[in-house]
Amino acid sequence: MIEFNLNGKTVRTDVPDDTPLLWVIRDEFGLKGTKFGCGIAMCGACTVHLDGAAVRSCSMPISMAQGKKVSTIEGFEGKHPLQEAWIEEQVPQCGYCQSGQIMQAATLLEQNGSPTDEEISAHMSANICRCMAYPRIKKAIKSAAEKSNSAVNVYDLASSVEG
Amino acid sequence: MNLLNNFSKNKTEDSLQLSRRKFLISAVNSALVMAFAPLTMSLTASASEIIKQNGFSPSIWFEISTLGEITVHVARCEMGQHVGTALAQIVAEELGANWDDIRVEHASSDPKWGFVMTGGSWSVFQMYKPLSQAGAAGRITLIEAGAKLLGVAPKSCDVKDSKVISGSKSVTFAEIIKQGKFDRTFTPEEMNKLPIKSPDKRHTIGFDRLALDVPPKTNGKAVYGIDVELEGMVYTRPVIPPTRYGSKVLGVDDSNAKKIKGYLGYEILKDQSNWIEGWVSVIAESYHSAIKAADAIKVSYKSGDTTNVSEQDIIDEGRKLVNTKSAGVLFVNDGDMDKAFDSAASTLDATYITHTAMHFQMEPLNALAEFKDGVWHIHCGNQSHSLTLPAVAKALGVSDDSVIVHQYYLGGGFGRRAYGDYAIPAALTAKQYGKPVKLIFTRPDDAKFDQARSASVQKVSAAINDKNELVGYEHNISAGWPTLSMAPGFMPKGIDNTGNFDPFSTSGSDHWYTIANNRVRTINNPLAQKTFTPGWLRSVGPGWISFGAESFIDEVAHELKKDPVEMRLAMLDGKGKNRGHHPQSVHGAKRLKFVLENCKKAANWGQKLPKNEGLGIATSFGQEREMPTWIACAAHVAVNPTSGEITIKKIFMTIDCGTVVHPDSALAQIEGSILWGVSLALHEGTEVSNGNYIATNFHNYTPLRMNNMPEMEINFVESKEFPVGLGEPGVIAVAPAIANAVFHATGIRLRELPMKPEHIRQQSKQA
Ligand code: FES
Ligand code: FES
Repeated sequence: MIEFNLNGKTVRTDVPDDTPLLWVIRDEFGLKGTKFGCGIAMCGACTVHLDGAAVRSCSMPISMAQGKKVSTIEGFEGKHPLQEAWIEEQVPQCGYCQSGQIMQAATLLEQNGSPTDEEISAHMSANICRCMAYPRIKKAIKSAAEKSNSAVNVYDLASSVEG
Repeated sequence: MNLLNNFSKNKTEDSLQLSRRKFLISAVNSALVMAFAPLTMSLTASASEIIKQNGFSPSIWFEISTLGEITVHVARCEMGQHVGTALAQIVAEELGANWDDIRVEHASSDPKWGFVMTGGSWSVFQMYKPLSQAGAAGRITLIEAGAKLLGVAPKSCDVKDSKVISGSKSVTFAEIIKQGKFDRTFTPEEMNKLPIKSPDKRHTIGFDRLALDVPPKTNGKAVYGIDVELEGMVYTRPVIPPTRYGSKVLGVDDSNAKKIKGYLGYEILKDQSNWIEGWVSVIAESYHSAIKAADAIKVSYKSGDTTNVSEQDIIDEGRKLVNTKSAGVLFVNDGDMDKAFDSAASTLDATYITHTAMHFQMEPLNALAEFKDGVWHIHCGNQSHSLTLPAVAKALGVSDDSVIVHQYYLGGGFGRRAYGDYAIPAALTAKQYGKPVKLIFTRPDDAKFDQARSASVQKVSAAINDKNELVGYEHNISAGWPTLSMAPGFMPKGIDNTGNFDPFSTSGSDHWYTIANNRVRTINNPLAQKTFTPGWLRSVGPGWISFGAESFIDEVAHELKKDPVEMRLAMLDGKGKNRGHHPQSVHGAKRLKFVLENCKKAANWGQKLPKNEGLGIATSFGQEREMPTWIACAAHVAVNPTSGEITIKKIFMTIDCGTVVHPDSALAQIEGSILWGVSLALHEGTEVSNGNYIATNFHNYTPLRMNNMPEMEINFVESKEFPVGLGEPGVIAVAPAIANAVFHATGIRLRELPMKPEHIRQQSKQA
C-alpha cells in the first residue's frame, strides 16, 4: 500500500510498485488532465510536480511517490497565473501537451521570476508541442512572469512604505 | 456512405449538398431550431414536423434557447485549428448574435451529416456560404417575429448583440423565442437569394474571439479520446505483426504474461476486411498490466513478403519510375513538351528525394469500443466519421447503420486520424472478448502502425530556348499513395485516360507559372504501397512536391543567370489558365505575384549578407489549385561550413487566404505551419528498414523543440475575397525556401529531405 498526497488530499493505492505514477493518477484517481505521450520521459506530456519539482510521471514508479506531495494540473484549479496567460495568449492548439507545458513552466517561474528568452527555451525544450505552439508558450510565460513581478513590486512598495 | 468518385466534386460536396436543401426554422421544446433538410423529405411535411422527428439532415444546424444561448452544432472535429470557433463566427455574423451567447457542440457520426472530413484545409472554404445563408435565414425570421412584438415594420429593424432593434425599441432573441410561433421553410432558391452582409458591415468575422476550446485545454478538463472510460471496460494493448500486410499468427505463448498481475488473456483478431492481419490484442485490468503482458507474450508469425524492404529499395524503385517514359498517369499536358525538348538550345534536369516522414501526433492512437443494444459504439477522436465508420463496420462484418462513432477532442490529427483504422482492433477485441474495450497504442505501437508520408522521388526537367528562356517544364513524381489505400473512390482519372491517380499526392505540381510547354506525370510507387500504408501528412503532396518544384525553379534561374525572384515574378502573369476564376481563385497568379513582391520586400531581398549566410525564397498555392492559399516564404539561414549545420535565422511569410475569419487562429495556424515546415525540412524524417519504420519514439523521431525555433515575420494580405484553407498551406514553401537559402549561402544544392549536415559536408568535400 502506497500513500501520498495528491493535490492536497491523502490518497492510497495498492497497484504494483512498478506502476508508473501517470496511470495511477489517470486511471485510479480519474485525473485525466495529465497526459500520456511517449512513456520514456522524452515529451513532457505527463509532467506533474513531486514535492514541487517537475517530474515525468510516465517514468516514475508509484513507489517513489510514497509519502510525497504530487500535484497535477487539476491542483491549480484554473487559478495559476500561467493558466490565465495561456488563455490570454490563446496558446493551445490541439491542447494535448498543454497540461505538461504549464506544469513545466510553473517550476521555471518558481525559481526565476523574470526568465530571459534563452532561459525559457532551455527550460521548456524538455517538452514537445507537436502543434508547435512554441511562440505562444514563450509569450505566455513572459507575460505571466511580468504580471506576477508587478504584483510583487506593488506588495514590496506597500510594505516598505509601512516599514 | 457514398464516396464520390470525382475528387473535384467532392471538395464542394458539403456546399453542394446544402445548396440543394431546404432550410427549416421551428420552435421545438422551447428552443428555436434552424436546420437544413433534404428536399425529398420536406416536400410535404412542415418545418416543425420534420424538426420534431429529427428528420433534418444538415451538415450544421443551430438552436437558440429561451435563455438566449445559441448552440452551433458542428460536424467537424477540433484538432487544434479552433474550427468550431471559426464556423460559429460565420453564423454569429449573419444572425447578429452576441458572441458571449455562442456555444459549440461537436457532432457524433450520423449519416444525416453527409460526408464529413476535417482535412485538406477545407472546413471554412466549404462551409462559408451555406453557413452565412443559414445565419441570414435565422436573422430574417427573428426580425419578422421581433417586428411584430415591437409593433414596427420589419424593414425598420436590424439585429445586434442578440437583439432585434428598431430605432430606440429593441427585443432580445430570447424574448422573441419565448413569445413567437415559428414554422418556416426557405426553399433552396430563397436561400440563395438571401442578402449576406457586405464585408464592411461585419462585426464578428475578421475579429478575434477567444477560441471556445481554449479554456478547457488549460485546466485539464478537455476530454480527448484517450480520457474516455466506460463501465466494465478492460484495457488492451495490441501486439503488431512484423509486416504491415500479409502476416499470419502461427501460435501464441502467454505463459510469461500469465505471471503478470491483472493479465486477463489475449485475442487473435479476425478482421473481416483484412485491413489488419496477424494482430493479437492483450487484455488486462489496467493499461500498465496490458503493456507488460504484451511485452511478455510470445507470438510466432508467418510474415508477409515485405520483411526485407528498405528505404533505399523504395527510392530505387521511385528513381526507376520517374525515368520510365510512360509510367504513371498524365496530370498536366500543356503545349507540346516533346517538341520543346527536341528544339531546345539546352536542357537541365534534377532529381529530388524526400524520406519517410511520420505523424507522431501527441496523443497516441486509441479507441474505446462497446457493443450495446445491437449497436457498436466507438469512442475516439477522428478527423472523418465518413471514412472511419464504414472501415470499422466492414472489419466487424456489420452494416454501417449499426456503428456510431462518438467524437472527442483530438490530441493532434495532422492526417493520421482521417482514416480511423486504429478503431478496428478495439472493435474486434470488444467483439471477440465480449466486453467494452479500451485499446491504447503505446508510442512505439503508434509509430509502427503510422501511416507515414511515403518516401518520394521526383525528376524535373527544363527546356531552354536560344533566347535563354524557360520554355518547357516536365515534372515526374512518384510516391506511395494514401488515397489508393484508404479512399480509392476519391481518385480521378488522368487526362490520358490510362488510369486513376491520387490527387493528394499530385497536387502542387500544377503550378501557376506561365510556361509554354508543361507536362506532369504522377506515378504510384508500388513497393512503398505494399510495405506500409502511405498516409496523408499535414500539407500532403504539396509538402514534398513543392520542394522539388520550387528548388528546381531556383536551379533554372541560376543556370540562366537570372534573379530567382524576378524570374518567378515574370512567369506569374496571370494569363491563360493562370487567370483563376470566381470566387475562390479570382485574379489567379497575380495574387501569388503580389505576395511574392511583398515577401521580397519584407525579407529585404538582395541585401548584402555576412559570409556563410543566405536568403532563399519559394512560393506555394495551398493544398490545391482549386482552393489556392497564396503564399511566399523567405528563409534566412546561416550554414556552418565545417559541421554543415544549418541554422534558421528568420522565416518571412506573406499569405493571401482571402477573408480571414478568425485572425488570431489564422496566425496560430501559420506559426505552427512554418515551424512544421522547418521541422520537416531539418529535424524529422526516418527510413524504412526490414519493412518497418526505424523511428519508434521521440528519442529517434525528433520534431523541432523550442530551442530550435527561428524568428518569424508573418504578413497577411488584407482581403475581402472568398476564404480558403489555412491548416496546412503554411508548411509547403518552407523547405524549398531553406534549400534555396543554403544554395545562396554556400553554393551547395541540397536535393534531399530532410536536409542534413552530412549532406553539406559530403558536397563540400566533393567540391
Ligand atoms: S509521456 Fe512522460 S515524458 Fe512523454
Ligand atoms: S497544442 Fe497540440 S501538442 Fe501542443
